[in-house]
This record gives sequence, structure tokens and C-alpha cells, in this order.
Amino acid sequence: MNTAPTEKLELSSERLALFVTASAAIGTAGCSQIRNQTSRITGAPKVPFIPLVWRGEKSETARFVLGRAGFGADTGAVNRVADMGSANYLEEQLQDRQEEDPIVSWRVDSLEVLQSEKDAPDALYSMSDEQLLREIQQAALLRAVYSRHQLRETLADFWTNHFNIYALKNDGRSLIPSDTERVIRPHVLGSFHDMLVASAHSPAMLAYLDNNLNRRGVANENYARELMELHTLGVYSGYSLKDIQVVAKCFTGWTVQTGFKRGLPDYDPKNHDDSIKFIPFLNLTIKPNGGKRDAAQVLDALAAHPATARFIATKLCMRYLGTAPEPIVNSAAAAYLKSNSNITAVMRPILLDGLLSREYTLPILKRPLDFAVSAIRALGADTDGGDGVQQYLAAMGQPLYQWPMPDGFPSKPSAWTGSLLGRWNFAFALTAGTINGTSINLENISSMKSDNAVYRLLETVFAYPAAHSAIRRERNTLMSLRDKAQNLSQQLQELAGLCIASPAFQSC
Amino acid sequence: MKITRRHLISGAALAAATGGLSQKRSALASVALTPTNKRASDHVLVVLFLRGGADGLNIVPPHGEDSYYRLRPSLSLARPGDKSVLASARALDLNGFHGLHPSLAPLYALYQRGELAVVHAVGSGDQTRSHFEAMATMERGLSQDGGSASGWLARYLNSTTGETESPLRAVAVSETLPDSLRGATNTSAFNNLSSFRLMVPTGSGGTQHHTSSEAALNGALKAMYQSEKTNTNLVLRAGEETLAALDAVKKLDSTNYRAENGAYYQDSELAAGFRQTACMIKGNVGLEVACLDMSGWDTHVAQGRDTGWQPARLSDLARSVRAFTDDLGRLKSRVTTIVMTEFGRRAYENSGLGTDHGRASCMFVWGGSVAGGKVFSEWPGISEHQLDGPGDLRVTTDYRDILSEIVQKQMRPHNVSDIFPDFTPSYKQIIRS
Repeated sequence: MNTAPTEKLELSSERLALFVTASAAIGTAGCSQIRNQTSRITGAPKVPFIPLVWRGEKSETARFVLGRAGFGADTGAVNRVADMGSANYLEEQLQDRQEEDPIVSWRVDSLEVLQSEKDAPDALYSMSDEQLLREIQQAALLRAVYSRHQLRETLADFWTNHFNIYALKNDGRSLIPSDTERVIRPHVLGSFHDMLVASAHSPAMLAYLDNNLNRRGVANENYARELMELHTLGVYSGYSLKDIQVVAKCFTGWTVQTGFKRGLPDYDPKNHDDSIKFIPFLNLTIKPNGGKRDAAQVLDALAAHPATARFIATKLCMRYLGTAPEPIVNSAAAAYLKSNSNITAVMRPILLDGLLSREYTLPILKRPLDFAVSAIRALGADTDGGDGVQQYLAAMGQPLYQWPMPDGFPSKPSAWTGSLLGRWNFAFALTAGTINGTSINLENISSMKSDNAVYRLLETVFAYPAAHSAIRRERNTLMSLRDKAQNLSQQLQELAGLCIASPAFQSC
Repeated sequence: MKITRRHLISGAALAAATGGLSQKRSALASVALTPTNKRASDHVLVVLFLRGGADGLNIVPPHGEDSYYRLRPSLSLARPGDKSVLASARALDLNGFHGLHPSLAPLYALYQRGELAVVHAVGSGDQTRSHFEAMATMERGLSQDGGSASGWLARYLNSTTGETESPLRAVAVSETLPDSLRGATNTSAFNNLSSFRLMVPTGSGGTQHHTSSEAALNGALKAMYQSEKTNTNLVLRAGEETLAALDAVKKLDSTNYRAENGAYYQDSELAAGFRQTACMIKGNVGLEVACLDMSGWDTHVAQGRDTGWQPARLSDLARSVRAFTDDLGRLKSRVTTIVMTEFGRRAYENSGLGTDHGRASCMFVWGGSVAGGKVFSEWPGISEHQLDGPGDLRVTTDYRDILSEIVQKQMRPHNVSDIFPDFTPSYKQIIRS
């Protein structure tokens, strides 16, 4: 403890234990060494057990908010959010101004792929495909698990899927890091317009949707189509094939450099269609010889279109509320237009009016990523986010950055109901400590007396009081197993596995 | 965008999942609609992909073409009536013009019984002749590279998916998911059906605890997921479905599986794959699509004529398929199997007694409703002036014509354009109506 940065950094109490372990492992090493060592912390810290103080509706809402506007509650979180009030918590998350936990920065920044992305993106081409993929997946998972900016991380995932790139197409693996760091992450709560423009010129997107093949005379419509259908207006907004064709012409000439400056965006005026163009749906005339400005004009018009406002508002409602109630969609879409596509402004009615009232919500089946991350968070597990846990995500049907289609991983429940066996096996492996690079330590709970321990376990995993009706099946099952138990402390891991595998843990 | 009915159905079905979660129901949540589960298809599609570009001209040799013998002086198979060589070195006649490689003899009976159809001069629009490109094109159901990155089977599965599906609806009997299944979430890939089970971790100390037996875990899951009443809750229903599949697979005991009807699966990877597939079909585990792979078809050097490298593979193929078909017995009426490859090989042999990458190849299709005993081909000929590019068999049948007809006529209802975008198939009547 002689490093003692804990006093200055105001670590939240539930992170303290993690930090202490990290500090102990690091000792007095210099900063650069810290970076190398933090990704190899061995031995899970004990789950810091903070008893749930259930205060009825207040706690219920806090629990619900943590599951929707984040990747699930970790120990003590429900108490804390209930204390400060869910509305205040959401406002804090929307403002997104807190310092990041050092533990997150260390672990994520030490990944070579992110260092290269910052210092010398060209170096991404000399890394192996395996390392590239592993580390971009790792970064996503570590941030989801450990960041205190939980809302921001759910949005990072949302926009990553909204502007989906398939890592295995062409050199996607080398191009995705810059897309994540420069296109998605800076804008997740910022301007949708700016994110859209960044995406349009992102080498990863240019290559993924074939705009590098889109040239004067031989237009490739792939990007133009998805730009309108998936990124902005939505397929039912009323545009036609003619609109797609003209928009495609506006993007001719935008490509990705090859050779010496490979991986950088490029605009080749020779390949740009500089004729006069008219886009009927947008009622937009593009004057001749506009050059690069053609794309900018189209993107401005698309970002400002009411259909885009509605499409984005609806999609965000589905993600956070599980349904798209008319009044909330209306106010979110209005906020979008009024704020010039500011995402924080759009999120405000969705979270503060929609999520908080809970009148306007329906249950959501967690996708495998949500499921795995929420399990790791609930159990306070230590994870390196690497191959071990990623392999389980793949087995559950959600290998990160490997959704081939431009629509991103599906959110409809029927897409995921077939992956339960994978979830169960993940739950048992997680709690038994057989996932490489991921471990849990339930000593704080298993040292309690039998009944108490099972109750505390239920409380830890579900963030419900053990007697709550929502986990009746789970409680009955666990208690019946406990009766036959010889040695509870040995069994607790398996019981924890069953909690994670249970029906109640699959939805939020 | 309107709130679609689908969203409401899913949401409402999920609503009971967490009990106390939404005590205050919104007006939307109380809209009760009957589930729209599409009628489950009981038809099974088995797709075997020959990796490496299988040489259609020696698998189904055009013995009626003099050019064939001129272009392949060392590799060509003797005509069916050629008494100058042993019978085992002669092509088996299909229609007086095309023949079957003698190593495929076990399939010949299927052809004669009218169960096996042969398609020739079939392929995609791919001009790169690169394995990677050509496979990617075909497995994604496209004309050539570019466009949708999802697999054609994945799109079929996605466009026909019901509220809950068997976790064994689509299975790749291989280490990894093939590209044709990329983009479908509810798929499994395993070499052995026995790996479809609850994995019981031994724990860090290596000790087996009371609950850490498969049966105990299974029992606990049943206690949580099953109920006496019909489940309207999506999560519970999916759990029941998965537990049922686990039970079914356990009962099947695939490692001790015994073939029926005197079928014999030899000791090969392919035969093992077909054996697993037969086991799943008989076990009624909800299998609808199975993908198998076989490699070793990239025969640039020492390909072999009636014996050698390629004939050995053909023999494995024919025996495995034959065992599968025999084993299925009467069940074969609801199974259709397709054998396809990414491209064929050059019409003339090379200096290494092999063949180089070409264009069109052949396909095999068999099953209860297949209009077999026939070669489906608009034969382009292989005389000098009839060849494509550097000397390749021209593609006269789009592979999607065949796939589309098989899926459209036998599998769950869907729009062709969802599976093969920007393509209008022309059916060859390879499936009897």
C-alpha cells in the first residue's frame, strides 16, 4: 500500500479491492512497467461484499437503470444509485465528466493495438491478424466490464453495431482500431452528424462497404444504400432506388490509400463524378464541380432529415426501453432536430422519461455480450478480456467485430434463444474458474453460515433481496440443493454458476 | 418507423421472464397476441462442400467428347465400353455421353434408382479462380465477390426463424462455422455431437463436488426452466427446448451410435460427419441444416486417373454418402443432400499430371424428392473454341438455380430474394413437384 494513490483518486469502494490487488502486484514499479503488468494480474480479488440495503421502489428502479443504461449492477451499485437517486445517476452518466478509473485506463491503454493506433497507425499492418482481433475485442470487453461510464460504454457498443464493420473482410482488422477510437468513441454522446461524417470517411467503412470501388462511370451503390437504410433514414422512410444511385455518385472518388500510405482515407478527384446531381427524396441539388463538397452536402442533409431523427430515436428506444413508445420516440426525435443531432439530448427523454417511469419499458433478452459482461460485473470477477472469455462469446453466437452484415448484431430475442447452452456452459466455467484469464473469488460470501451464504449469493448475482418474487424459481432451486450439501463453501461456486445460468439472469 | 407487431410480441413474451420486473405494465405490454411461430419444416438439408476446386471433368467425365481424350491424354477415364482396360478403370455410363468416375460406383446404384441427380457445367460468376474468392462468392450465395457478407444459409435461417428454435436447427459438423452460416446466431459447430452437452468444470482444485455432475446441473436447470403449464415466456420456452435437445442428444449416445439397414460407415472424417448427421436426423433433435466439409480437391499435381489421390477421395465420398443414404432408410424422403465445390479445373491436364484452377464443375443432389437418374446440363462442350478463358469448362448453369429450387420447394416458406439477392432463379425441375 505504499504507492497510496488511493487517497487522491477517490476510488469507488467496490473498485478498491481490485485496485489494491493491482497495486500489490505492481509494487513500486514505474509507470511504463505498470502498463505491461496490469494486463497480467493474477488471482482474483475477493468479491467485496456489500450487503444490499433494499429500499423498495427506489432500489428496484436503481437496479433496473443499472441493467439498462449499463452492463448490469456490480456489488454495492444498487445501494449507491438508490442513495443518490436514479435520476441523478442518469444525469451524471449523461454528462459523462468523471475521470476514468485508472484500472480501466491501464488495462486498455497497455494494449498494443491502441498504442499503435495513437502513435503510428501504419504499425497496425505489421501486427498479426490474431493479435489485432484479440486486442480490439479485449478493449471492448474491458471497457464494458470496468468503466464507470456505463452508459457511454453501452452507447459505444450501440454505435459500433449501428456503423458495423466486419473484421474479417479484407484488412478490416487493421482498420477497425481507428474506426473505434476516432469515429465511434469520441461521438457516442456527442453529435450524430459528426459521427456520421467521420464514419463516411473512415477507411474501415470505405473498405467494408466497397466505396473504394465506387468510381465515376462505375458506381458501387453498396455504401449509399446502407448509408440511407441503416445509418440514417431507415428503409421505410420512402426513398427510392433513384435516390440511392444519385447518392452513390456523390461519394465517387472516396477511397482508401494503398501502398506507402495504406489505410488512410483518400479522395481522388479523377474518379469523382462532378456532374450536376439531384436527389429527389432530399430535394437536394448538387451543383456541378462540387468535388469533396458533394459528400458533405449529402451527409448534412441526411443527418438533418426528420426521418433520420425518428429512425435514430426509435432504435435507441428499442435498445434502452425494449419497445418504442410513441410519446418517447416523439420527444427524442424532436430533441434530435432541435439540438442538431446531439445524442445526449436524444438520450435524455429516453432515459429520464422512458426508463425512469418504467411505464414505457418491456423486458429485454440480454445478448451474449450483455449477458457475459453482466455476469462478470455481478460476481466482481477479474478478467483480462482476452481469448478465454472471447471464445465463449463466439460460442454463444456473438464473436465481437465478426458480424458480417452491415446491420450489426441483432437485438431481436429470437436471434438469441438458441444460444442458451453456450450461456450455461459459460456460467459454469466462469464460476469454476476454468476460463483462461478470468477468475472469481467468492471467499467473502462462502465464509458465511450456510443459509446466509446462499441468500447473499442470490443478492450478489441478482441485486434483489433473496426473498424477492422475481427470483423465486432460482431461490427454490438453490435452497433445495443446499439442503443436500455437505460442504457449502465448496459448492458455492456451482451455485453461483446456476444463478448466472438461470432464467432471471437472461433478461434485464 | 412504426412499432412493428413483432417487437410487441417479443417484448410481451419476455415480459413474464423476470416476474416482478414490470409490475406496472404499460398499455403496450398487455397487448396479447398469439405467437407467430412459423410451421416448422421437417425437411433436412445437408450441404457437403468439396474444398479446393473439385475436378468435375474427371468426376463426371464427358466420355462422349473426343476433345476430353485429346486434352487429357494421361488423366482421362476410359469409355464405358472400352474393353482394352479393366472394368474398374472405365467410366460408368450415365446417359451415353457423361459418365461417373469408377470410384463413385457406390453412387451409381443411387443414380440408377432415380435418387441421385447430377448437374454439370455448373458454377458461379467468379472469374478470379482464387479458392478464397470463389468459396466466399458461393457460400455467400452471390454471383461474384462484393455485396452481402453473410452466408446464404444464414439468410435462409434468419428469414424463416420462429420465436424459439431448436439449438440444433443448424449445425456445422466441423471445427468452425463455414461462411455459408456466417451471420446466423443460432448455429452450432462441432466435430462430434457428444460435445453438445453441459460442460462440467472440474474446478480449480480438480475435485468433483456434489452439484458438479452433469445430471445434477441438468436437474437444477430443469427446476428453473420447466413448468407444468405451457410456457408463454420466451426465455423459459427456449430453455425447455434446449434441455429437450440435450436429453435427446444424450439418449442418442452418438459415440455408440449404430447404423441401420446394413449401412457401413468406414473410418474416415467424412463418414464420421455423415454418421453424426444421420444420428441427429434420427434423433429428432430439430436439425434442419447440416454443413459438412471435405478437403483435398486442389489437385495440381499427380491427381490420379482411376487410382491415386483424387480417386481415393472419390471413393471416400461415395462410400460415406452411400452409408448415409442406406442408414437413413425411409427417412431419406425428408433429407436432401447437395455436394458442391467452388470451381472446376482446367480442361487440359498440366505437365505435373494434375489440373489447374478452372471454372465450371459438377454438383450432386440426392434425396427422396430429387428427380434423379438424370444429368442436368446445358453442355457447353470442351472443344478449343468452346472453352472459357485459359481453357476452362464454361458455366452454363448458375449454382443458385439449383440451390434456390431445392430450398424453395422443400424448406420453410421464404422469399428467394432474401437468400439470393438480385437474382432470379430459373428452375431446372431437379425437385419433383
